Amino acid sequence: MSAALLVAAQDPKVHLTSQTRILAAVIAVGFMLMILELIRRNRLQERFSVVWFVAGLGMLAGAVFPGLLGFVADAMGVRDTNVALFSIILLLLLGLALNFSVIMSRQAAQITRLAQERALEKAREQAAGERNGDPSTAERSESDERRAKA
Amino acid sequence: MRTLVFIPAWNEADSVAAVIADVRERLPGADVLVVDDGSADETAVRAAEAGATVASLPFNQGLGAALQTGYLYALREGYDFCAHLDADGQHPPAEVARLLEEVRADRADLVIGSRYRAPAADGESEDGVVGDDYRPTISRRIGTSVFRFFLTLATRQRFTDTTSGMRAANRRVMALFSESYSPDFAEIESLQLAVRQGLRVEEVPVRMLERAGGSSFLTPVRSAFFIFKGMIVLLVGQFRPRRVGAER
Repeated sequence: MSAALLVAAQDPKVHLTSQTRILAAVIAVGFMLMILELIRRNRLQERFSVVWFVAGLGMLAGAVFPGLLGFVADAMGVRDTNVALFSIILLLLLGLALNFSVIMSRQAAQITRLAQERALEKAREQAAGERNGDPSTAERSESDERRAKA
Repeated sequence: MRTLVFIPAWNEADSVAAVIADVRERLPGADVLVVDDGSADETAVRAAEAGATVASLPFNQGLGAALQTGYLYALREGYDFCAHLDADGQHPPAEVARLLEEVRADRADLVIGSRYRAPAADGESEDGVVGDDYRPTISRRIGTSVFRFFLTLATRQRFTDTTSGMRAANRRVMALFSESYSPDFAEIESLQLAVRQGLRVEEVPVRMLERAGGSSFLTPVRSAFFIFKGMIVLLVGQFRPRRVGAER
């Protein structure tokens, strides 16, 4: 911890106080625990949890090594580390939202196909019932079908 | 040669039975399937009473999904040709029979009934087949011309009635549409898709009637949104991969 503080002291561009860093670390740890708990209760599937877990780890890393943020800001060519922080978070959330839209679209298509399959199944049953168990009725007339229904 | 006529219906209990009866009278050799798109009313019951097979989607999925259900049924049950028309009584089954003749004669893979295209001058038009007894609203007219322009641009083929829900198709089209059919922008994208896949798409002038029940879902704001969405769909469609010779 003292090493991390030293890094912070050497870098005048990082404005995080110890207080905010402790708070951020606590929130990050709590966040990851919450994700684990959601998985444990089957409220969240593992495959959707990875990205959130990585986000939590990133948050923790930022709190523990404040120099990291300054480094990233430098790499981005941003003078203010806060701007760098918010840009990164914003982009991440944007990417996540898009990811969810993609997943939702795929699931919507799957639900549609499922509904169609069920509808077709029912229709086929009804048609088969009307055909009176005779599957080779390609030439059957409409009146036959009407009589079968009556 | 087996033919399926399917009718997508969403809350059309008032008109669906009459449409089915009319179809059975005008197209005596065809099987009739009603795709009930999650109706809250008696649509499915009325349709079954009228003698149609009913495919009921468990919840409302939109016209595109309903139409796709019909194509899927036609494909799987081995029908040679299929046609669909609206359940609100706007589409006379006699006109559907003319569309089916075109695909049966193998003059086209997909035939669209157009209420705007003037009947051909070579005596092909029958009694009452005129385009100008149809009076669209202004917002519909704007949308129609916008889509007409962009679809013609995209397909390099002249289309007049891009949103027509009266069509006839053969098995090539069934195979294509049962796989890929836009769920919320059915009519326009499907035309673009069919042309891009190298299918022969043809328009035939038809007469349409005033709707017997229900009302158009188009308000000016919705129309604007509809047009905007349609243009995006067409633009994206131009960049979709071609799969030339699909089951040809």
